[in-house]
Amino acid sequence: MIDFRPSSAQQLLVSTAREYLRRHCPIEPDRRAGLDVIQLWRGMAELGWPGLLISSGVGGSDGTLVDVILLVEELGYAAVPGPFVPSAVAATSLLLAGGARQQRRLTELATGDRIATVALVEERGSFDPAGLTLTAASGRLTGRKLFVGAADLADDLVVVLRDGVVVLPSDRRGIARVPLQAIGGDPLFEVRFDDVEIGADDRLAVTAGAVAAALEAGALARTAEMVGAARRILEMSVEHAKTRVQGGRPIGGHQAIQHACADLVRDVDTARGLLYAAACDASDVAAAKAYASEACLTVARRAHQIFGAISYCAEHPLHMIHKRILAASLDFGDTTLHLERVARAIGLEA
Amino acid sequence: MDFTFTADEQAFAAEVRRFLRDRPPSTFAIDGMDAGYGSGANSKAFIRALAERGWIRMCWPRAFGGDERPMFFKLVLLEELARAGAPFGPLPGIWQTADAIIEYGSERLRTEVLPAIARGEASFWQGYSEPDAGSDLLALKTEARRDGDDYVIRGHKIWSSHAGIATHGLIFTRTSREARRSRGFSMFVVPNGTRGMDIRPITSLTGEVYHYEVFLDEVRVPEGLRFGPEGEGFVALLNGLDSDRFWGRFYKAPALERVLHRLVEYANTTRVDGVPLARDAGLRRRLAAMATELAALRWLFYRAACQFRDGAPITYETAVAKVMADETGQKLARLGMDLLGMWAPLRAGSPEAKLDGEISHAYLTSLGHTIAGGTAEVLRTTVATRGLGLPAGAR
Repeated sequence: MIDFRPSSAQQLLVSTAREYLRRHCPIEPDRRAGLDVIQLWRGMAELGWPGLLISSGVGGSDGTLVDVILLVEELGYAAVPGPFVPSAVAATSLLLAGGARQQRRLTELATGDRIATVALVEERGSFDPAGLTLTAASGRLTGRKLFVGAADLADDLVVVLRDGVVVLPSDRRGIARVPLQAIGGDPLFEVRFDDVEIGADDRLAVTAGAVAAALEAGALARTAEMVGAARRILEMSVEHAKTRVQGGRPIGGHQAIQHACADLVRDVDTARGLLYAAACDASDVAAAKAYASEACLTVARRAHQIFGAISYCAEHPLHMIHKRILAASLDFGDTTLHLERVARAIGLEA
Repeated sequence: MDFTFTADEQAFAAEVRRFLRDRPPSTFAIDGMDAGYGSGANSKAFIRALAERGWIRMCWPRAFGGDERPMFFKLVLLEELARAGAPFGPLPGIWQTADAIIEYGSERLRTEVLPAIARGEASFWQGYSEPDAGSDLLALKTEARRDGDDYVIRGHKIWSSHAGIATHGLIFTRTSREARRSRGFSMFVVPNGTRGMDIRPITSLTGEVYHYEVFLDEVRVPEGLRFGPEGEGFVALLNGLDSDRFWGRFYKAPALERVLHRLVEYANTTRVDGVPLARDAGLRRRLAAMATELAALRWLFYRAACQFRDGAPITYETAVAKVMADETGQKLARLGMDLLGMWAPLRAGSPEAKLDGEISHAYLTSLGHTIAGGTAEVLRTTVATRGLGLPAGAR
């Protein structure tokens, strides 16, 4: 039966997250300046969040992908920095497909004591595994991966190659992590591999289907993050429209502002519905992410117009949330990649 | 959270698809133009065929001759009909009127009109708008004056869809002058052909007739054809508006999906310099983006549907859904025109017309959708004030 309401357990997860993050992850840039990402991560780990996808038998918290999506929506709402999506969603999904040999690693990921990330993108700048060139067939790996999230925090790099997946400790000889300077969002890295030795134990026995599923989980999580962020922007914008007085009345009394706010509601509600449907397997992840990227970025840009000059200042949180949406819209597949998948799904001949 | 249809709903969908295979929609006689909302043309024969299956009354209470099936069966039926491009034009209005009769109706409406609805023999036009009462509906001037056991209606209604081929008008009138502007209205169900009712066609921009204007000159209506208590018509109307926006647009997403699939098929099969249009990167992207918007639109309506089903309060959800449905429809029509290029303006029946002239027709009719049933501007204001709590009043 079609039902948009989270279960009572899911509602508890969401309200716990909302309250915890309200206290430990302030949105105002000046209060956030001293935020310790690792300390925040440990707090999240105590709540069992990194282990949501992992079964309790291995030390996880027995959640579902829908639970993860609802949680990440809250992470987006609070603009939480850190390795949750690369580690607890994408890398964990891949390692879960890797069989019994990964159990110890998964246990440590579940407790948050270990952090992993996925390295995939190459020179083409695409998350499509079909076009990858790097290989470790010879037992050595040379080349580079781009736009790797959380590489600085990660103990393990899950590296997707042309012909398989390897899991490497990030401090192995020959691996270098070079920070890129993006306008915002979590730090991104270029990871260089210079004749890195690859042993049989480094190889992760997973199918191409498992890789695709893990990337989809990552894409879905980034969609949830955008939706949560756009919800926050909507709330902030409506609050501002009610309280900012110009010409003797709140600007929210003007039709121009009212209609802009109505469009924010449309964009947030539609992106959210498509997200939940995709999380429950009722529609494409590709459609949900492509739609949310456009809708949530539109929400952010329109909000700048509602807030006016103050939102141009570094001290205002809007630009920080906006930049996080931008980063999320690209991670695990940009709009070009996902719209091409949708194009094929609706039957357009390639 | 669940996005799957129940086994009963899926079985019913299959039953509807079998019906559409056995009785192809294109074989039914058409009485009135397709105004592009997604419910197809007006076909009395098709409505009677639905009635024969018991599908018009299927969700009514048993006491009123219904089968008490869950509301979602109506959604299943509408989606299947819209995907098939069936001519079920009057059905949503028929259902809404039936629901209003069951909730507010007099004994006479329940015993005379409701059975005719169940048989597929009744359909309705809305007599709401007037020449000087459009977005400002409460400025209406049509009056119903009490005269013994009857009312006598005098006024002028306009933009009444398919009024000339329907069986009854739902006429919104003022029955008294009250201090509060929203009090003193009453709604009547008036049979077409009642003495004093003059229904005149308005030729639309497509060249066909969709709207009518109706002159009401001393139209005598018995008290038994009034909805609910006298003077409280506006409450019923307001409750009806949320449901009007919903039932008037729910089927638009599946109907637009049907059009999108036709455009995809056209792009796949049309070659320019030997290359299928479908290979054009820009076009692929626009069609794919449109598919995501239609999926988003569909779930937006399903969320409102769940609120209706669960009795959750609706403040802005149907308003925002209607605005999006209509603007997305206009965008799709524009995309279709672009895709068809030089062939785009050709109308149905013209030599060289592509896709049966459906796209040029959709392009024109969609212009009215953001105006009818509450303009996009009025509804955005509703979303902002009723939904978000922004200050009302100053316009």
